[in-house]
Amino acid sequence: MSPSPHPELVAEGYGAKRPRWAQLATSADHKDIGQILICGALGFLFLALVELVLMRIQLLVPENTFLSPVGFNRMLSLYGASAIFLFALPLVFGLFYYVAPLQIGSRGTALPRLGQVGLTLWVTGGVVLYSTFLFTPSEAGVNPLAPLSEVAFLSNNGVDAWATATGLATLGFVLLAVNLVATFRTMRAPGMAWRRVPVFAWGAAVSSWLMIVVGSVLLAALTMLMIDRNYDGIFFADGSGGAPLLWQHLSWIFYTGTYMLILIFAFGAIAEIFAAFARKPLFNRNVVMASLAAIAVLGTLAWMQNMLTAPIGIGWMYFAMLVSLALIVPFGLILFNLIATLAGGTLRMRAPLLFAIGAIATITIGLGSELCHSLVASAWHLKNTVDSTAATHFALVGGSVFGGFAALHYWFPKMTGRTMGENLAQISFWTILVGLVLGFVPLFFAGTEQGQVIDAYKYFAGTGVTAYNVVASIGVFILSIGILMTILNAIFSRTNGPEAGHDPWGGDSLEWFTLSPPEPHNFDVLPDVRSPRPLRDIREAIGHRTRRSERAASRESQPVA
Amino acid sequence: MASHSPGTDQIDTLFWIGFIAATILIVVVLGALLYVVRRYRGERGAEPRQLLSGRGPQFRVGGVLTVFAALLFILGIVFTGNAREKPTTGEAGLASAKSEPLKIKATGQQWLWRYDYPNGAFSYYKLVVPVDTAIELELLSTDVVHTWNVEELARKADAVPGKTNKVFFTTDEEGAYQGDSATLSGQSYAAMRTEVDVVTPEEYEEFVETQNEDIDAAEERVVGLIENGETP
Repeated sequence: MSPSPHPELVAEGYGAKRPRWAQLATSADHKDIGQILICGALGFLFLALVELVLMRIQLLVPENTFLSPVGFNRMLSLYGASAIFLFALPLVFGLFYYVAPLQIGSRGTALPRLGQVGLTLWVTGGVVLYSTFLFTPSEAGVNPLAPLSEVAFLSNNGVDAWATATGLATLGFVLLAVNLVATFRTMRAPGMAWRRVPVFAWGAAVSSWLMIVVGSVLLAALTMLMIDRNYDGIFFADGSGGAPLLWQHLSWIFYTGTYMLILIFAFGAIAEIFAAFARKPLFNRNVVMASLAAIAVLGTLAWMQNMLTAPIGIGWMYFAMLVSLALIVPFGLILFNLIATLAGGTLRMRAPLLFAIGAIATITIGLGSELCHSLVASAWHLKNTVDSTAATHFALVGGSVFGGFAALHYWFPKMTGRTMGENLAQISFWTILVGLVLGFVPLFFAGTEQGQVIDAYKYFAGTGVTAYNVVASIGVFILSIGILMTILNAIFSRTNGPEAGHDPWGGDSLEWFTLSPPEPHNFDVLPDVRSPRPLRDIREAIGHRTRRSERAASRESQPVA
Repeated sequence: MASHSPGTDQIDTLFWIGFIAATILIVVVLGALLYVVRRYRGERGAEPRQLLSGRGPQFRVGGVLTVFAALLFILGIVFTGNAREKPTTGEAGLASAKSEPLKIKATGQQWLWRYDYPNGAFSYYKLVVPVDTAIELELLSTDVVHTWNVEELARKADAVPGKTNKVFFTTDEEGAYQGDSATLSGQSYAAMRTEVDVVTPEEYEEFVETQNEDIDAAEERVVGLIENGETP
């Protein structure tokens, strides 16, 4: 072995460089884990799209027999679990996990091995869910309501596998969230007070707390379900002290919290992107931060908004309506401040901004239609019609696909050192937008006018919904093509995209202070943080000093009169 | 969908209130967004003014939103209250249901609705009710959660095993109304449909009478077969 060039630093020579995959598989670095989560999420998004397209082919014409009823229910169950547990949440947590520690100027995370375990659990959950193709996937739907999910009605192992998969994934998210909370509390850079933390990192903190709460609730419910199914439990059985409604309460707490979590993520990312692309600070940071926290609390308390047709007391229904309608205030304030951030700026219409604007637009439509589901008597008409499918998809595709892709385009240069192809990104954006509108606006009509019911494997001719469903199916095909374009764009741009440099967008937060991609220790040096926009402070200081030295130089060069 | 019951009239009104409120919010937000994006587009140019906050507009916007939400909440309570009001039997209705609503049990089971009438008669799939008569439908389930859904006549409501859910309605016009189930209940969920036949009180009396006789006759025949040692 040749002598090391730095004998004072290295005692036994450099460690052998391991192949990239081995490094990734064993890494506890938050950037590696974040990237694996993001890549995995995009892969499962593809699978979720395949399932969605299969269901839409089945619903293309009345009384179609493309899928069997059981086959349709299996696709539905897989689609729901894939979209939420294997796409939206890992994309959200992947981006949080990668970006937020950089934003707060931390050199790593507080509990890196915990995060690694979280990732492993999530991967295992994904494998378990898709391994059900070897035997039988679950047939119990997106949210398997007890007692349909009980062993008396679905005796094969599908529901067990579903519960195992979603349970492992959820436990993984909870562990990642615990690590993020610990990191935020202990590893912020000097001067990075909570009031100076970037909004996206604040969103990550709020979301992590939210996941710790609602994830634990779901884990409890899944444990009860497994006890019921495998050890003669009676948690969700009627009579003998059990209650089918218990499952609804617990699961809707999780699903409603997750819905809010995805929107908090999206608003956090949009706030960063709007500020960077308008070259302005976020308008009323404090109000936006408080509103994000309010959404987490009020939104989760509104879980019974999903149960307005269930036999619960009318007082509880009014309570659900109250907290749902109260959400108008924080959501409205966030939208107002985001739009006010754009106003007066000089907008560079690049892909991240385009996706962020699309996210705002579609989330607004989704939330607006959700308003009609919050008025109790109106929900008695709309609940469980395809109108609710459309409302949910507008809000969550808006949050996780538009919002997620906006964040992906924005931070892609930080992760890879390259920007994503701009032309393909723009084409992809418009394709997704057209697909989403064509795919889900007809369902608003089919649901409100004709009352087409949710989750059904077929509909009947003469019920006035055929035309709507044909258009919706075509829309979903277009939507899938648009999403595929962005996935392909990400794959190709990783190695072939235009080189971006360390701060391609002129961002104001600390992640743009380091290399792209960052070194394992994130930062060599850290600035003293004095405001929510540390990088802008540095640029101003440099500009100031440059001007001063230029002035001094010009003074010196002036001839003495 | 056309409403044929005072309860669903209220539900429809509240839905339209929500629809208009949502449309206002969506139009305002999308309008402002489009305006801002068109107005302030520019790749290069001087650095914009670094506006950090404005306390005044926050309070105004927050105030308007709070009033908006409060107004919707009050309207929601008023119309939901109206929709829940127990209906009364009218002139053309069933005489015996003048003081108390006509009680019928609806039981969801995979994948059929069963209706039990007060005199012991029962029917599957098809519910027959007299016109202009207050009906109290008691929703039960023998297996999983089902949602009884006849949009033109009454609100959607879940039949949950071990719980009772009640739906009250009257009907203003004779005819056949189609309905279905709205919660995934297993393989044949989409085929779990129902129909409500609204008829005159006389026809209703006749229907439950014949239905009862037919059921008795069928039972007697089965009992007879068993007594003769045959398999029914």
